Amino acid sequence: MRRRKRWKLHILEHSLKVASIAKEGIQICTHGLIKLAFLPSKTRCKFFSLTETPEDYTIIVDEDGFKELPESEYLSVAEATWLALNVVSGGGNATSSQPIGVTKIAKSVIAPLADHNISVFMLSTYQTDFILVRERDLPMVMHTLSSEFTLLRVVNGEAVAANSTGVTNGFVKPKLGNYLPRPIIHPLSSPSNMFCVTSLDPDTLPSVATLLMDVMFYSGGAKETGGQSEDSGHIRFFSFSLIEGYISLVMDEQTTRRFPNNVLFTSASGELWKMVRIGGQPLGFDECGIVAQISEPLATADIPAYYISTFKFDHALVPEENIQSVIGALRTNESTGQ
Amino acid sequence: MSSGYKPDILWSPHHADRYVICDTELSLYRIGPAGSSETKAGALPLSEETAATLLAINSDTPYMKCVAWYPKQEPECLLAVGQANGRVVLTSLGQSHNSKCKELVGKELVPKHARQCNTLAWNPGDSNWLAAGLDKHRADFSVLIWDISSKFSPEAVPAEKVRLSGDVDSGLVVTKPLYELGQNDACLSLCWLPRDHQKLLLAGMHRNLAIFDLRNTSQKTFVNTKAIQGVTVDPHFQDRVASFFEGQVAIWDLRKFEKPVFTLTEQPKPLTKVAWCPTRMGLLATLTRDSNIIRLYDMQHTPMPFGDEVEPTIIERSVQPCSESIISSFAWHPSAQNRMVVVSPNRVMNDFTVFERISLAWSSTTALMWACGRHLYECTEDAGQGVAAAEKDIATKMRERAQSHYGHDTVQVWRNHVLAGGDDPQLRSLWYTLHYILHCSYTENVEQKQQSNKQSLIYSGIKNIVKSSSGTTETRRCWSGSDRQTDVPWYHSEERSLALQLCGWISRGPDIDVEPFLKSLEQEGEWERAAAVALFNLDIRRAIQILNKGASAEKGDLNLNVVAMALSGYTDEKNSLWREMCSSLRLQLKKPYLCVMFAFLTSEPGAYDAVLYESRVAVRDRVAFACMFLNDAQLPRYIDKLANEMKEAGNLEGILLTGLTKDGVDLMESYVDQTGDVQTASFCMLKGSPGEVLKDPRVQCWIENYRNLLDAWRFWHKRAEFDIHRSKLDSSSKPLAQVFVSCNFCGKSISYSCSAMPHQGRGFSQYGVSGSPTKSKVTSCPGCRKPLPRCALCLMNMGTPVSSCPGTGKADEKADLTRDKKLAQFNNWFTWCHNCRHGGHAGHMLSWFRDHSECPVSACTCKCMQLDTTGNLVPSDSV
Repeated sequence: MRRRKRWKLHILEHSLKVASIAKEGIQICTHGLIKLAFLPSKTRCKFFSLTETPEDYTIIVDEDGFKELPESEYLSVAEATWLALNVVSGGGNATSSQPIGVTKIAKSVIAPLADHNISVFMLSTYQTDFILVRERDLPMVMHTLSSEFTLLRVVNGEAVAANSTGVTNGFVKPKLGNYLPRPIIHPLSSPSNMFCVTSLDPDTLPSVATLLMDVMFYSGGAKETGGQSEDSGHIRFFSFSLIEGYISLVMDEQTTRRFPNNVLFTSASGELWKMVRIGGQPLGFDECGIVAQISEPLATADIPAYYISTFKFDHALVPEENIQSVIGALRTNESTGQ
Repeated sequence: MSSGYKPDILWSPHHADRYVICDTELSLYRIGPAGSSETKAGALPLSEETAATLLAINSDTPYMKCVAWYPKQEPECLLAVGQANGRVVLTSLGQSHNSKCKELVGKELVPKHARQCNTLAWNPGDSNWLAAGLDKHRADFSVLIWDISSKFSPEAVPAEKVRLSGDVDSGLVVTKPLYELGQNDACLSLCWLPRDHQKLLLAGMHRNLAIFDLRNTSQKTFVNTKAIQGVTVDPHFQDRVASFFEGQVAIWDLRKFEKPVFTLTEQPKPLTKVAWCPTRMGLLATLTRDSNIIRLYDMQHTPMPFGDEVEPTIIERSVQPCSESIISSFAWHPSAQNRMVVVSPNRVMNDFTVFERISLAWSSTTALMWACGRHLYECTEDAGQGVAAAEKDIATKMRERAQSHYGHDTVQVWRNHVLAGGDDPQLRSLWYTLHYILHCSYTENVEQKQQSNKQSLIYSGIKNIVKSSSGTTETRRCWSGSDRQTDVPWYHSEERSLALQLCGWISRGPDIDVEPFLKSLEQEGEWERAAAVALFNLDIRRAIQILNKGASAEKGDLNLNVVAMALSGYTDEKNSLWREMCSSLRLQLKKPYLCVMFAFLTSEPGAYDAVLYESRVAVRDRVAFACMFLNDAQLPRYIDKLANEMKEAGNLEGILLTGLTKDGVDLMESYVDQTGDVQTASFCMLKGSPGEVLKDPRVQCWIENYRNLLDAWRFWHKRAEFDIHRSKLDSSSKPLAQVFVSCNFCGKSISYSCSAMPHQGRGFSQYGVSGSPTKSKVTSCPGCRKPLPRCALCLMNMGTPVSSCPGTGKADEKADLTRDKKLAQFNNWFTWCHNCRHGGHAGHMLSWFRDHSECPVSACTCKCMQLDTTGNLVPSDSV
């Protein structure tokens, strides 16, 4: 019906909490986590994501799901309540070789938010990308993005038009920052293992639940006895999310081999991804522009990417064949930034 | 389908006896009659008549999510199976691997990124095209349209990239779809539009229903809705689409796609299947989760599209195909009407036919008709000659009576009972009563014009007449022909005499002379009654004479002589043998009048219960008897009692007692309640004294119902006659003239109303063409003398014959209608079409439209006659 085809940005109704569970405290949370991950009918949780990094477990969960987690000294929760944004295409323009994931929205969403000093938290899944922003930043987010997007707020499953209120946070819109490459502030590293972004049929989830539990909660202890560090190349990284009924998994290639045939969804081309890990020190939640620093060069180079933020560090996944050029491009920015 | 592995069911599009059950594997069944030689021992009974035989099982395709049956005849039994990983596999069941199938079976259509395949649909036009709806993926399309005939193209997927996918080397894998639609969201259901095979209706795309045209995929029509599951097009109405969301079904009209035309009542549990019946218009079946009933929505009479203000008429009902088992899925049979097979979660199948609602209609005549499915049944009254009149339906009787002018004889009112068939004693009594009432009132009228009080008394019935009685004289009369005094007191008064007149015993005047009445009874051969009346008038000799006459008459009863003999032995001796024998033996007499004669003779004076309560004796005779022999105290009591009995029974004989009063209406009400004979009720009440009873709403209701009945029978002429009859008797019902023909020039009415313009009427006669008066017509406006319009056919100026103009003669008497002089023959009437305003003489117009459909005026294409809804109906009472 709409003549002008604009992209649409859905502001989802989930109120999200971002939490970190220390590795040594994971056992006190497993009951809740298993319920959230494998027994979706037993909770009212609609948004759950668990990402294991060598440092900790990062949990992103909505308010209903958050009740399943116990209070504990091992559980640290980021103060803010987060809202998830999701870009959906406005029209069915079936043209162009669309870049995948974050790259697609780097210039339209991430860069403007960075320019307006809005901190974002990214979660890419097999199905889509979620941009998490603080609830308190929402008026500013809407103001920033309303020129570019049709903003729709999801209420009870129905998208209704959301109007920007014209609030500014006092920061002046940077003038033509366009072509000035954003300097990369944080150190980068690239582990040697390769990753697979995949999914599976929710109906088959029970059949692999024990395997997934093993991968999530126990494999770390068993494998890491060898004292593998990130420097030696391998990194322990696993992500599981169950969002609105859709399952998404990120795991390294070795882990995928433990799954039975035909359970994991794999692309026809069988693409594999390499990781770029951002940050030497925990990044915190207030700094803005980190995602933009990484994604903008990738978008310029038209390289598809996934981006998963965790409590302490950020992770970008790029196609294995592109890793060298990505590193190269980012290093260039790094040097110019310094 | 997506929840667990509940079995679904699929009918073969071309073999009416085959279907497939799919859960973890595909099983092909053949359905056949139960117990026939064809069915083997392993056949599963589906219903009392049918059983299914398992023909083949295919378990090659795990993780099935959806199945679609190839729509073409050949190769038969080719199925597309959508899997959990998004691959679509072509497979077949129970086929020997013939050449046609072999190329296709085993072919895999693989999307770039794996995710669940939600739905599949074959293109109804190009059967090589298969549309698959998939779950969302961040970088892939959710609707892929595959060409199953395309060959594997090795360059599409570089070999070194094929790692995790399975066996690609077979050459049966297709990875390049024909079309890709819908980014970044799931497609939950889809269907091709039967109107245009290039168009595809997709559901789920960002909570949209969207119509894509493959010729231009950037153009799409979409509507935002929650109801994005299970889109399905009504096979009988290709613009009607159903889709659902949780418990709610939305019905869409593709021509008005902005919002659902209506939504069905929401079910508490989520729906699992919604399907239009392929063999019946507008029947939608829905199934909810864990339910053992299938809900049916009948939209046959729902206009499409309808305006917003119209409430859709949807008939909702539910069926329970298998008594208590939960239904997993169902499928309509493709050709057998309203038939479906349902399957339970544990694969118990049931063959079931939805029974069609029966609709029933009475015709205005006595026929009854009902329809069930595609059958129509008619039930008519047995019109054979042998059917006794009493057994006929009242509607049939009323029809026959209407045709024989029943009720219209205003001169000899009693004759109406003959017109009614003459076989109903109640009607006979009624019309005689009315006859006597009118007769008395007429003679009263002529003789004593001033006494309007008495006039109304006549109509108020004997019950009221005897109450007003005063100055009763008691006499002891002699047996006529002898000087012997009777010991029977005999009462007389003016009112009692009037009552006797109403009973028909005496004509009028103060003298009690029953001789004319006896004569008429003799003439009709009512010997016993005549004898009884003679006896009650204390004339034994006459009574004996009548009995003798009766015995000697043709077909006479010789027993009457015996009775006469017995009668002649009468003695007033109290203790005589005669008295003793008569009082006991009279009970054995079969004829009621003979019986009451002896009862009278053997009764003590003043104690005539045996006469008064002999129900077989006509009410009028009993009442007349009572008027003569009961004293002022007994008489009203008796009459009241009898009147109440009559009222309760709805016996029209009681009208004699109640008259045409409110009491009479009560009695008539009970009669109508029993018989439904509004015809008699209408005619009877119209005879009433002007005003009073006609104002009763019940009477108005009967009259209106009778008029409607005549209309329903298309007895329009009878209706008109009735209206005229009614307006004569009840001037308040006469409608005022509402339509006038006005002159084009002066705007005045051209009709002659003597009261309105007597001068002009007279004045005109001076101008009138002095020739044959029937030929001279008023062809100009009486007001301004300008000519009236011309008839479109004869081109003459229209008008009415001048000689019949009212005011020239006193024609408006109460003469019979048919002999009434009419203002103008119908043929000369003005008629014109309200649409094109052309017209002419009614006769000319009628004959023109007998052969033409268009207006007679040249260059006018108005189809005047067809605009007249009743123009095509023929009155069924036309001669």
